[in-house]
This record gives sequence, C-alpha cells and structure tokens, in this order.
Amino acid sequence: MKVSWEGRVLAVDPMSRAFGFVVLETPESLVDWGVRQTRTDKQQATLAKVSEIVNLYRPDVVVVEDCLHESSRRRERIRILVEAIVRLGAEIAVDVRRIPRSVMVLAFADAGAPTKHGIARALAERFPEVARHLPPIRKPWMAEDDRFAIFDALALAVAFVDRGAHSD
Amino acid sequence: MTSTRRLPNYLRAHRKRMGLTQKDVAFVLGYISGTKISRHERYLREPCLRTALAYAALFQVPARELFAGIHEQVAAEVEKRARLLAAQMTERRKGPASRSCSPDDL
Repeated sequence: MKVSWEGRVLAVDPMSRAFGFVVLETPESLVDWGVRQTRTDKQQATLAKVSEIVNLYRPDVVVVEDCLHESSRRRERIRILVEAIVRLGAEIAVDVRRIPRSVMVLAFADAGAPTKHGIARALAERFPEVARHLPPIRKPWMAEDDRFAIFDALALAVAFVDRGAHSD
Repeated sequence: MTSTRRLPNYLRAHRKRMGLTQKDVAFVLGYISGTKISRHERYLREPCLRTALAYAALFQVPARELFAGIHEQVAAEVEKRARLLAAQMTERRKGPASRSCSPDDL
C-alpha cells in the first residue's frame, strides 16, 4: 500500500560545478528552489551550502539520487559527493533517502516524458513557478545547462513524494 | 513520518514565484538595499508590522499565511494564556468566600 509522504522534503542534485535543490512542503507546494554554484573546493562548498539549506528549512528528509543503483549514470566525483551528502545527513541527524534514476524516470513515464527535457517540461507545468528556469532543448554541441539541476532535484522530490518511492 | 511545523515565513517562496529579486522587493518596501529582505527571508529578523503588511500587499497573500509559522506560535501562546485567564475569571466569579483574599482583589 502506498503511503503518501507528509513533511518537508529537500532534494539535492549535484552537477559538475553547481548543485540544484528544491524544498517541497507538500506535494504541490514549493518553498524554495535554485542552483548554487560551487566553482572552487567543490565538495566542501557543496556540503557547506547543503548544510546551510538544511539549517534554514529543517527538512524531514533529504532526497538524493541513488548513485549506487545500476541505473545511475553519474560520474565518480558526483557519486562520491552524493555519498558525502548522505554522511552529512547522518551527522546532523536528518533522514536521507535515495531514489534510483530508473524509479525517477518511471514516475514520469505516465506523463509521456521519457527525456530529461520532457521531465523538466512536465514539472514546469505542475509547478509554474519554475517554468521561467526551463532551459532550451539541448543540442549535441551544448554543455548541460546548470538550470537542469533544479528540475532534476524537483524530479527526485516528486518521485519520492508521489510514489512513496524510496530505498535506504 | 513527522508532521512538519510551518516555517516562520514564506517570503522567499512568494518572491521567487513573482520572479522578483531581493533588491526589487527592497525597492517596493522602501529599503535602500536587499539586506533586510535577506534577513527576513532567512528568519534572522522579524519585520515590523508595517513591513509585514507591505509584504502581504505586494504578494497579495494574507499576513497570517505569509508568516504562518509565527502566526501558529503566537496563536498557541495566546490560547494558553487565554485558558489561564478563563480559569482566573472563573475563580473570581466564585467570590471571596471560596478563596482567601489578596490585595489584588480590591
């Protein structure tokens, strides 16, 4: 039986030089969202900024991608960073949950949104306040737009909240 | 799974929904810079009544919703003291025969 999550959710999605985050208070209510740059000393900077956000919003759970899952396509540095976030959660006594990428994609399959941009578009429809951050469709020669991190984080949060989908 | 208490305020959420910067909000509220806005958003300072009402007018959201966590806290404190007052008033109505007199009764 699916049990809906009740509580404040912080989802974090690290990228190569930034991380995206969202704070959801209810399945339909976004409290904060954004991208934080971490150009120097990336791991420490990310952990410090995540810690700041946790202190501000006191989430009931922090959600990250399950980089240990076979469906993860993350590079080694990001996997290490995500594990550092998990350890940080344990240190500051915040519950951390991991969502496999495959589960996240499945959560949006019903909306006919199998691609990253498709998922971002579906999220922008559900949460109009982030629509202005929707990047253009990426062409092969383009680097990934940092703003996708907001949508990746939001996708994690929504997958967690909507489907009660979490693994420990 | 816990029930989460409301945050002290939701100023940042509403500001971002409107696509405004802290500097924009500061201008509308009559501040020189966004510093005070930042402090309000990070719960470091509570705005005064006029500023709270200005936020409500800007975001078109009632102040009790905008400052939901503070409202909850204040309402709980008021309810507690109101119950105390009600108990005291009940005692007073019973009259001096039912209790010993004190200077406060005069």
